Amino acid sequence: MEQALLIVWRESVEALLVIGLLYAWLSRQPQRRRHLRLLWAGVAGGAALAGLLATLMLLAGSWMSGPAGEWFQAAMSALASLLVLQMVVWMARNGRQLRHDLESRAEQAVSQGRHAALALLAALAVAREGSEIALFLYGASGSASASQMLGGALLGGLLGAASFALLQAGSRLLDWRRFFAISETLLLLLGGAMLMNALDRASGQLMGMDLPEQLYAWLGDPLWDSSAWLDDGSRLGGLIAGLTGYRAMPSAAAALLLAGFWLLAWYWRRAPRQCVA
Amino acid sequence: MRTLPTLLLALALPAAGAPLPSYQLEIRDGHFTPPSLAVPAGQRFKVIVHNRGQGPVEFESLPLRVEKVLGPGVSSFVVIHPLKPGRYDFFDEFHLDLPGGFIEAQ
Repeated sequence: MEQALLIVWRESVEALLVIGLLYAWLSRQPQRRRHLRLLWAGVAGGAALAGLLATLMLLAGSWMSGPAGEWFQAAMSALASLLVLQMVVWMARNGRQLRHDLESRAEQAVSQGRHAALALLAALAVAREGSEIALFLYGASGSASASQMLGGALLGGLLGAASFALLQAGSRLLDWRRFFAISETLLLLLGGAMLMNALDRASGQLMGMDLPEQLYAWLGDPLWDSSAWLDDGSRLGGLIAGLTGYRAMPSAAAALLLAGFWLLAWYWRRAPRQCVA
Repeated sequence: MRTLPTLLLALALPAAGAPLPSYQLEIRDGHFTPPSLAVPAGQRFKVIVHNRGQGPVEFESLPLRVEKVLGPGVSSFVVIHPLKPGRYDFFDEFHLDLPGGFIEAQ
C-alpha cells in the first residue's frame, strides 16, 4: 500500500508542481480566465495522452520500448524542458511589463503562440508521468493485493491534491515576489530534470549505434563522482535527481547541457526585450 | 538545433561493426533473474530485458542512466555506457517492495 502511495505521489509530483506553479501565477494575470481554461484544457489533453501512451505500451509494447518509442519519449521530455524555459522567460518578462505597465499590441500578437505553449506544457507534464501511473495501476489492479494497492494509489492521489492546495495557499500567504522567485527556480529545476531525462534516453539509443569512439566517451564517461555525497541510486537521491536533473556521475554531455540550460535561462531572463516565442 | 541533422543521420545508419557483448535479464513481477550481472569495466554492453511477468514493469537505474517501461511479454534492450569498476544498482519501479538487482563492473 505504501508502495502504491509512494509511486503515485512521486510520479505526479512533477506535473503537480508545473501545473500548480503555473496556476498560481496565471491566477494573478489580467486575462486569467482564458489562461486558466487553457491550462486545464492542457491537463485534460495530457490525461488523455497518458491513457493513450499507457495503452500503446500494453498493445504495442515492443514498439514503445524499442528505439522508436525511446526517441519519441526523449523528444517529449526535451520539448517539455524547452517549454518550461520559455514559460519562465515569459513569466519574468510579463512581471516586468506589468510593473512598467507596458502591455503593447505586438505583445498580444506574440502571446498567441505562448497560449499554445502553455497548454502543450501542461499536457506534456501530465502525459509523461501520467502514463506510468496508468500502467502501474493497471498492473496493480491485476495483482493479488489489488484493493490495497488501489487504496494506496487513491491516498497518493489525495496527497497530490493536498500538495496542490498547499501550493496555492502558499502563493497567497508568501510575499508574492518571493513566491515568484521560488516558482521560477523550481520550474527551471524541473525543466533541467526533463532535459536530463531526454538526454539519458537519447544517449541510451546512441550508445547502441556505431559512432566514433570519441562520442561514447563524451556521452558515457563520468566527469566526476559525487555519489559519496548524494547517491542518485538511493531513494532520496533518486527523488532529488528526478526533480532537479542532478546526476552523481554526469557525463560531459550531461554537465554541458544542464549548464547550458541554466545559462540560457539566466541570459534570457536578464534580457527581457529578447523574444523567445 | 545543429545537432539534429547529425542525429537524424546517425538514426538512418544501420548499427554495424562488432556486436556488443550482451546479457539477458528476466523480470517476473518484480523478481530479477539473474539478480546480478558481472560485466567488464570500460566497455559498452547490451542488456536484453524480458518481462516474463503478468503485469508491466519499469526497469530503472539512475547510475546506469536507464528508465524503461516494459509491458507484459515485451522484450527490449538497453545499451549501457562504459562503466568504471563498481556496483550499480537497478530496480523495478513498479515493484518497489521487492529487492532490486545490480550490475558489477570489474
